Amino acid sequence: MIFKKLQASTTSGWEQVGKTKEKGFFDFDLFSWMAWTWQTAAFFIFIALCITVMLIWEKKVPGGSPRKGILGLDTTRGDRLFVSLLGSAFIHLAWLGLVGSLLWIASIICVAYFVVVFKYV
Amino acid sequence: MNKTINQKAWFFVIPVFILVAFNAAIPLMTVVNYSFQETFGNNVFAWEGTRWFKQILLSERFHAALARQIAFTFIILLIQIPLGIGIALTMPKKGWGVPVCLILMSMPLLIPWNVVGAMWNIFALPDIGFLGHSLNGLGFDYNFTQQPGDAWFTTILMDVWHWTSLVVLLSYAGLNSIQPAYYQAAEIDGASRWAIFRYIELPKMKKVLTLAILLRFMDSFMIYTEPFVLTGGGPGNTTAFLSIDLVKMALGQFDLGPAAAMSLIYFFIVLLVCWVFYNLMMKNEAQS
Repeated sequence: MIFKKLQASTTSGWEQVGKTKEKGFFDFDLFSWMAWTWQTAAFFIFIALCITVMLIWEKKVPGGSPRKGILGLDTTRGDRLFVSLLGSAFIHLAWLGLVGSLLWIASIICVAYFVVVFKYV
Repeated sequence: MNKTINQKAWFFVIPVFILVAFNAAIPLMTVVNYSFQETFGNNVFAWEGTRWFKQILLSERFHAALARQIAFTFIILLIQIPLGIGIALTMPKKGWGVPVCLILMSMPLLIPWNVVGAMWNIFALPDIGFLGHSLNGLGFDYNFTQQPGDAWFTTILMDVWHWTSLVVLLSYAGLNSIQPAYYQAAEIDGASRWAIFRYIELPKMKKVLTLAILLRFMDSFMIYTEPFVLTGGGPGNTTAFLSIDLVKMALGQFDLGPAAAMSLIYFFIVLLVCWVFYNLMMKNEAQS
């Protein structure tokens, strides 16, 4: 049903309004209210991947490599991931509010921000 | 002695995991999905990209609601924290007064939010309410349903009435945990009452006060029920704090997309403040 939605939302969004949907084999209504799109699914897969990478990293180098970073805070890898993700959210929001277009530039800034946070914070 | 490593206990976490998935993760994911789409219901959605985020970030309505929210939170913290400390300092340390004061203090905390709102609504009504009628009788032109200033006054008074006790109880616990030796030393040195407060009591209460400020900040920043029942966000929009405005947008106007975007921005602000306070508390912990 995720892929059905993808088609509905990207190709012919407004033409679907008010029409009864044709139901495919996997198109049961259990999750259709969640309104998945491939973009948001990709975002959550990215988050899941981040957490998986952290798990593997923790297996390889246990202990979370705690240190006192430039903010004067005791941080572990998990804290640094949290700061990176939350900071990225604010960077994207700030970009949307102040610039408004070319959002991918904000994403590039975020990658740099990730690197800085994991190195120094 | 070798400990046997047994990871089977993780299976006991599964029920909580499922519960959190259903009441937190899945709704949050849905909000994220909604925030990028437009819908008129019937589970038909159309992709809108970052349009709602831009719209919310630039909308004067959101700025106004955020400003009101910050002002409200700031004012109630400014009143409740000093007032709470003050009451805690004057509460008796032993004798029959202790349980009486503690019970009196915890009473407002036990009343459900919507009941508090309803109580204060009736209490403050200008024609029949005790507060409203008395104020008008004393010559004040008071009507919280029509005048924004009065609505704010009543909302803040209600919140102070409802929640100052929490600060009192926390500060009281903090005060009681100070060893008598500190007071004796202060007495020997001939310290003034202010010096005792400034150099003994306040530093010793730092931990509980950080917690009190965090709790009061979060609760007041997400306040919904009490002002909703008391003023309904009115008159006009003057007491429509963030969550009231959010519900208006989501359920009143059925603008699910913009409302989802707004709730995500709201969520990020709350998350940021929580993180800052968490680190402050951890720092306090490390120092003591």
